[in-house]
Amino acid sequence: MGDRILLVEDDDPLGSQIVGHLRGAGFEPVWWREGRLLVSGELPDVSLVVLDLMLPGTYGLDMLKALRTFSEVPVLILSARNDTLDKVRALKLGADDYMTKPFWPEELVERVRARLRRPTLQKEQAVVEVGPLRIDLQGHTVQVRSRPVELTRVEFELLAALARRPQEAVTRQWLVEHVLDPEREGTERTLDVHVSRLRRKLGPVKCVETVWGVGYRLVPGEDA
Amino acid sequence: MKLRLRLALTAVAVTVPAVFALVQVEHSVRRRTTDEVIIESTLSQMQSGGRERCEAAPETWMVRSRSQRPPWEREGLPDGSSGPPSGSVAPDGPPERGPASGGPSPGNEGPPRSGGRGPLGRRLPPVSLYPFDGRFVSRNPQAPALDDGLRQGVRDDGVGVRRYSKDDGALVQDLLLRMPWEGGPCEYVLARRVEPAESPEVGLPPLSIWGVPTLILLSAMVVALGPVVQRLRRLTEEVRASSGSGYEQPVTVNGSDEIAELARAFQQARAEIQARMAHQQAREQTLRDFLANTTHDVMTPLTVLQGHLAAMQQRMRAGEPLESGLMLSAMSEAHYMASLVHNLGAAARLEAGAPQVQHAPVDLNALVSRVLGRHQPIARPQRIALESGVPATPTWVRGDETLLEQAVSNVVLNGIRYGREDGHVAVVLETTRQQSFNLRVIDDGPGISEEERSRILERRFRGNAARTREPQGQGLGLHIVHNVVELHGWKMTLAPSEYGGLEVAFTGPLTPPPE
Repeated sequence: MGDRILLVEDDDPLGSQIVGHLRGAGFEPVWWREGRLLVSGELPDVSLVVLDLMLPGTYGLDMLKALRTFSEVPVLILSARNDTLDKVRALKLGADDYMTKPFWPEELVERVRARLRRPTLQKEQAVVEVGPLRIDLQGHTVQVRSRPVELTRVEFELLAALARRPQEAVTRQWLVEHVLDPEREGTERTLDVHVSRLRRKLGPVKCVETVWGVGYRLVPGEDA
Repeated sequence: MKLRLRLALTAVAVTVPAVFALVQVEHSVRRRTTDEVIIESTLSQMQSGGRERCEAAPETWMVRSRSQRPPWEREGLPDGSSGPPSGSVAPDGPPERGPASGGPSPGNEGPPRSGGRGPLGRRLPPVSLYPFDGRFVSRNPQAPALDDGLRQGVRDDGVGVRRYSKDDGALVQDLLLRMPWEGGPCEYVLARRVEPAESPEVGLPPLSIWGVPTLILLSAMVVALGPVVQRLRRLTEEVRASSGSGYEQPVTVNGSDEIAELARAFQQARAEIQARMAHQQAREQTLRDFLANTTHDVMTPLTVLQGHLAAMQQRMRAGEPLESGLMLSAMSEAHYMASLVHNLGAAARLEAGAPQVQHAPVDLNALVSRVLGRHQPIARPQRIALESGVPATPTWVRGDETLLEQAVSNVVLNGIRYGREDGHVAVVLETTRQQSFNLRVIDDGPGISEEERSRILERRFRGNAARTREPQGQGLGLHIVHNVVELHGWKMTLAPSEYGGLEVAFTGPLTPPPE
């Protein structure tokens, strides 16, 4: 079973739907049908809280406020109200994210995953491994399936820039500004040439993916 | 209490104590000057033969003048008013000695009473003189007893003063004087003056003296207040009439006094109320129109959705497999409705104006992520790839999070709704070194002609054509986007994208990250 998630939602059909989807996505949901003003020690051992705002018993934001006095567990707010004041207040009180109803179950699952993934992404790693690719950011070496690959300075910087944010698209403009020498070859066309050389050197593994309209992204890749 | 009555009472309350205070001051001045006159005249009399006569027969010597009324009390003044000529002060210097009524004989020796005028322009009061020796003992058995106060006063200052009222209300004024010589039975002289109870010196001055000016003052105030009260009444009536007519009728009291000022203030308040009422009415009308228009907008996709659901139910009953196109269309309608309802909220807040718009720091990276997450479930079944690229660190701007999210959502939803199958929609967020951001939503859909692009930017969002569902109509979407961008002082451009579709770009300033 995956992470335990506390869902606080008073609406039965919506609650059971969310529970079903979270369970389907591999999480272990705990469902409370009303808000409670928690004190330290009353919060079950969960990795994330999905909290509705309009609750019987206790208003969601009050519950969040009480929760934040003793716990840093990520909280995702669910609200039918699309009011900025509510959102700003929720974020100020320590909510990590909010979703307005209606939403697609798929979106909720994605948001939960993103929130649970966030802490590991924030760490700057010395060595990034993406699929068969191993990039040593400090040693400036790259290996594909343990085979060293010789890269030029620009090619390595390009790969390192993508490796620092794996799975995320990096814009071409950013890459041009931060990787290429702006005085000599600072154009997107030059960037594309470097990318195509890099891809060739990395061999059949399709790790550097073109993101339509945006730029490039480092993915685990598949063999061609 | 009415204004006139209140003012009259106030005038009385102020005037009466003031008159009494003045009378007291006048009394005190009169006593002091009388003292001076008595002292001076007694000394002068004793020095011009009085001493000799006194020392010759101290057992019998005394001076008793006949009580003499001031002339105004005896015969009145020529102008008919009764009272001393106030304000006139008699010249200084020893009082002139007039002919004594009884001659300079002991027992009937006139003090400077006849013809001598007091400092306030009236005759001197009747005075009796009694001799005392150095031990304050008089050989004259008729002399009154001296008290300690008088003795002490004469030792300290050369003059002892005692005043008291007798049982019949007469005021007795005793002055014990040291004579400018030493020894003898007439070393001290007691000058006694008795002011009868009916004298103006005792008690209150007669009502005729202060009553008449007070009455005149009160009448003047009441008369002067007349026009003021009238103007106030007219103003009250006009203000009542104005409020009764829904503030249509103006207030016309004019002039340059405070009442006119009050009238002008009412006039300003009336203008303000009218403006607010007009604004309120306009808003209500707008909301009514808006509700009517948007009800139609929501009902249309709801009807389509009902149709799709009914078709699906029929297929299920007939045991036929569900058609994925039908399902996809139903999902799309539901998504569109959600977006419309959000747009209604956004439009209502935009219509309500500034107070409803909350400015706070907004992280555009998170906003883009939320917008993409929301639309992914509808883009994926349509085989439209939804991509995004944002900076590594949060991109902070200042704005209304809900409205901004709605604006970006609208542009992305348009890209998906009108995109082609296997197409793309990408959101690219970049920051510049000039502390501004550039957020672009690009697609490879059919795009919009140049004429249509400029029309979209010019049109206000309540046009009828804006509500159609066709690609050229864009629903409420782009018009709300336009208004939100304007509200935030950002810039928005619509241009053909390099991939053949549309590129919508927003630019605006960054803001420092919140603590």
